[in-house]
Amino acid sequence: MARDTDLPTRRDVLKTTGAAGAVGIAGLAGCTGGGGDSGNGSGGEGGSGNGSGGGSGSDDYPALGNYPIEGDTAVLGFNVPQSGPYASEGQDELRAYELAVKHLNNGGGWVDSQFDDLSGDGVLGMEIDYVSGDTATDADTARQSAQRMIQRDNVIMITGGSSSATAIAMQELCQQEKVMFMCCLTHSNDTTGKNCVRYSFREMFNAYMTGQALAPVVTEEYGGDNEFYQLYADYSWGQTQQSSMQMFLEEAGWSQVESVPTPLGTSDYSSYLSEAANSGADVIVLNHYGLDGANSLSQAVDMGIDQDMELLVPLYNRPMAEAAGGAISGVFGTAAWDAQLDNEPSQQFTQVFNEEYERTPSGPAQLAYAQTLQYAAAVERAGTFYPPEVIKQLEDYEYDNIGMGQELMRKCDHQAQRDVPVVRGLPADQQEQGTYFEIVNVTSRDDLGYGCDEGPAAECELGSYE
Amino acid sequence: MSDETQDATAQGAAPSEGVAEKEGFAGYELDTAREPVVVGATALFVLVFPYVFARMPVVSGILQGYQGLATLMLIWGIFALGFDLLLGYTGLLSFGHAAFWGGSAYAAGVFSQFAAESLGFEAGPVIIVVVGTLFAVLLAWGLGFLSLRRGGIYFSILTLAFAQMMFYLSSAPLSGITGGENGFTAVTVGHLFGVFELESELPSVLGTLMGTWLYAFVGLMTVVSVAVAYRILNSPYGMVFRAIRENEQRTEFVGLNVWRYKLMSFVISGAFAGVAGSLFTIHGNYVPLQSLYWTESGEIVIMAVLGGAGSLFGPMLGAGIYLYFENIVSGVRDLTVPFTDIVLLQGFGEYWHLLLGVLFVLVVWFFPRGIWGLFQDLRNRVTGGDSAAETGGER
Amino acid sequence: MSLLADVLTVLLNGLQQGAIFALLAVGLSIILGTLKFVNFAHGALYVVGTYTGLLVAHEIALTSGKLQSWGFTSLGLDLGFFAALVVVPLFVFVVGLGMERFVARPFYDRPDTDQILVTFGLAIVVQELFRILFGSNSLPFDQPAWAAGPIALPVVGNFSQWRLYVIAITAVLVLVVYALVEYTDFGLVVRAGTRDAEMVRLLGIKITRPYIVVFGIGAALAGVAGVVGGPLNVVNPTVGTDILVPAFLTVVIGGVGSIVGAVIGGVIFGLTTATLVAVAPAWSQIGLYAIAAVILLTRPQGILGNEEVAP
Repeated sequence: MARDTDLPTRRDVLKTTGAAGAVGIAGLAGCTGGGGDSGNGSGGEGGSGNGSGGGSGSDDYPALGNYPIEGDTAVLGFNVPQSGPYASEGQDELRAYELAVKHLNNGGGWVDSQFDDLSGDGVLGMEIDYVSGDTATDADTARQSAQRMIQRDNVIMITGGSSSATAIAMQELCQQEKVMFMCCLTHSNDTTGKNCVRYSFREMFNAYMTGQALAPVVTEEYGGDNEFYQLYADYSWGQTQQSSMQMFLEEAGWSQVESVPTPLGTSDYSSYLSEAANSGADVIVLNHYGLDGANSLSQAVDMGIDQDMELLVPLYNRPMAEAAGGAISGVFGTAAWDAQLDNEPSQQFTQVFNEEYERTPSGPAQLAYAQTLQYAAAVERAGTFYPPEVIKQLEDYEYDNIGMGQELMRKCDHQAQRDVPVVRGLPADQQEQGTYFEIVNVTSRDDLGYGCDEGPAAECELGSYE
Repeated sequence: MSDETQDATAQGAAPSEGVAEKEGFAGYELDTAREPVVVGATALFVLVFPYVFARMPVVSGILQGYQGLATLMLIWGIFALGFDLLLGYTGLLSFGHAAFWGGSAYAAGVFSQFAAESLGFEAGPVIIVVVGTLFAVLLAWGLGFLSLRRGGIYFSILTLAFAQMMFYLSSAPLSGITGGENGFTAVTVGHLFGVFELESELPSVLGTLMGTWLYAFVGLMTVVSVAVAYRILNSPYGMVFRAIRENEQRTEFVGLNVWRYKLMSFVISGAFAGVAGSLFTIHGNYVPLQSLYWTESGEIVIMAVLGGAGSLFGPMLGAGIYLYFENIVSGVRDLTVPFTDIVLLQGFGEYWHLLLGVLFVLVVWFFPRGIWGLFQDLRNRVTGGDSAAETGGER
Repeated sequence: MSLLADVLTVLLNGLQQGAIFALLAVGLSIILGTLKFVNFAHGALYVVGTYTGLLVAHEIALTSGKLQSWGFTSLGLDLGFFAALVVVPLFVFVVGLGMERFVARPFYDRPDTDQILVTFGLAIVVQELFRILFGSNSLPFDQPAWAAGPIALPVVGNFSQWRLYVIAITAVLVLVVYALVEYTDFGLVVRAGTRDAEMVRLLGIKITRPYIVVFGIGAALAGVAGVVGGPLNVVNPTVGTDILVPAFLTVVIGGVGSIVGAVIGGVIFGLTTATLVAVAPAWSQIGLYAIAAVILLTRPQGILGNEEVAP
């Protein structure tokens, strides 16, 4: 791996020119991203050549990816959807990321209360800065943006993603470039299954666990002997979601009538829904994510399907709930996290987020905040930013400080073993900004998950550390 | 077409009726003589571009470029060059070129996986490009054979329909091969000529200038593409393309099989897209499903027209501008007055697509010869010189 | 479940999905037929219709976009759906007139490709303007209270009320436009102009004004499509580009310049989708494009188009 670490990078160039270049940007860019550039003018201690390493305090490791960090600022890359249908989710993630950076540098929030490893005075003596990028919820765009962060902005870690396709695209790139990736919202089994990589860690649960968490709740609610009909988005997330639901609902004693794929890009589900309505099933599972989910669910309610049958939506997110409005009323699903969770870390996070931005944080915001601090804490424990050491700190790490109970970041597939909140949509008149669901159950991790040699994990080969 | 007449008369050529034949023969000699200049200039540009863009003191700080984007710009540049053979020279607007770009990208990726897993060798970049391009050529032959039965807007819609069919095919029925929405991730690229790792740095001063072997390879393909395109355009064959654009009926009356020439133009254009698409796979080690979507076809249209359809370098310039907006301008947070911290416009980056759209409309409206044509006009105004032979073709 | 019920359900679903495409296609088709102008910005007019309809009919809460950052947390007149059905066509009609005057007219004498390009660019600009103003979030477009929810139909069972209204509104509008073109002097000039504009001009009839009106009517239909189609899906700035391609295919299937053709195209489109979904869902999108391609290749003038228009 000899990517351009030996080349004079823009950062070195800036040093030699006394940062004059950073300010210019002839009429265009005064400041790109969070730009950790301008502060570097005087930082002459980092040798610009062969990765002899500057201020990171540890010269024992070879150059790898963007390690060692030159200067005294470590740059993180936050790659979230800022345009496209999930922009509002991306904005909320970005708020949480910015809050995390603030707390890492100046203390506050979980840095003071939950993460003993963190000092609130930077990480390993380095100040934390960041750049942000726009994935537009498009795998290709996400990848280009991540590449820019790695090559130009010399980020030491990237985090983000609001869909599985973007997360998978980014983590593949990060594995190649030896830059750490901390997944934010990605729910497909593949992320820590057949597409898993050594350099990526996922806190979010997956489709498999959603099926496990939902089945007991809905069989108790609707009875143990029902027939169900599935519609699923015809791509990898939808397919894995569909097969998980089938597996766990059938295990619980239900029987599947039929399972029908809807092609990518469908916005009118009425034909599919009529078929489902005429099938004689008792429950319809709508395996559609986000806006597709908002469309299919609203259309189902509009057609009166909810009068005779029960509806299920495996995974909720906020843009979906906002767009679907009252249609989510009474519909079961799972959510990444919710501000109503009654435990100390959750309430602390909700409070600091609210103080900063005057709004209730969404599930992905908690993921974003937690994943950033998790990475920083691992760096502190490792005593270096050298990625393989940081990875080893995260592997098989046990923690209970982010509001989802006792957790384990499993070594074999980098999938967090954690509780899953099962929620039910609120009627339109009870919804308000930030509150769309009620928490029905928090399914314990003891009832969830799978061994390292079964389920999605069986297909996972993480790849090399270096 | 009054521009045409002016240009032609300015050179002392016959009125526009005779443009095709006149330039055809007079220009042929002249332009082949200029070939070393055009190719040499391209090579020189390719040689210094990454340094200036990503590493040169001050300049790269202003441009905010990086190595990966320089590579990507050349790749899209090849695609745009090929697209322009069809749009700018033959006058056919395809809205389905994503089929060749994405199709060859998938073909290249799937072939590399097949070679690694079933044949037991890591396919090198050269053979991957050959396979991807062959696929694109065959596909272009088939789709061109069908689509060219219709003209004008119907041709555009047919190409669009075929490309969309490919997109939906890859998204679900073929997702076992393509990876569907997740994209194709099993790309395995071997060493260049079996020796050089693509991501490793070039020796000595070449490393400083061009960076990696990957860039050098893409750069070489770019130079070759320009040379080939230049040859084609300045051959009698290319003259026929232009004649078709000017007046299809008259070309037919001369006794030429217009349909066959159109098909050749379509296939050649598909071949360039194939080279670019394969390089895209090698560059990214990944094929996104979006590479087949019709918006990708729209992007290449915008690039070609923005830069200047009907010129050799215009579309490549357009590709560069588009990618610059998409990757650099979009990341600019606030627009500031140069050398100060005074903010003119907050959240400037989010306007990138709007700016491109406005720029595109303006170009279509007022400067049909694109930004490159604008440069030429400016230069001519200053020097009073002729622009005709400059780029191996003018509009 | 009887076969009859299945068939009827497919038929109704097909009709209602085809209705929106038909509304767009009629507008596109008469503009293309009479003015020979290819309008890739027709989807943008749909977006304009949807957003103005949303703002007239409801008051919406804004959660992102420039308008929100300028202090508008909610926006809209909340006048109800009928108001939107009246205001939006008028408004988009005027937008259409402006578009004819300032965009289309300078391009009448330029090649098809230039028309496609400039309107394609315009579509991007409009989409981005809406994105920046309203944010890229999807907004819910509630159905009017009197048409919300399902209705129990004989044989078929539950069916969305609003979707029945969509079919009805479309039918009425198309009939009005058809009558206008078939049975009025205005229509006579337009039809004559479609056949042979030069001859009409030689006969001393000034056809500029009817032409402008044709553009306005086409635009207004796209606007109405935006209003009635809005509540079928969530509203976001990209709905225009998403709907443009199917709308164009509808025109091509039905035949350029023919109102009846556009309607038939819309119905074929809707029925094909509904049938394929019931039979082979994974192939439904592919099937649509394949049908369009086959019709284009075997019958380039479309099902009801006249030969002269098609190149």
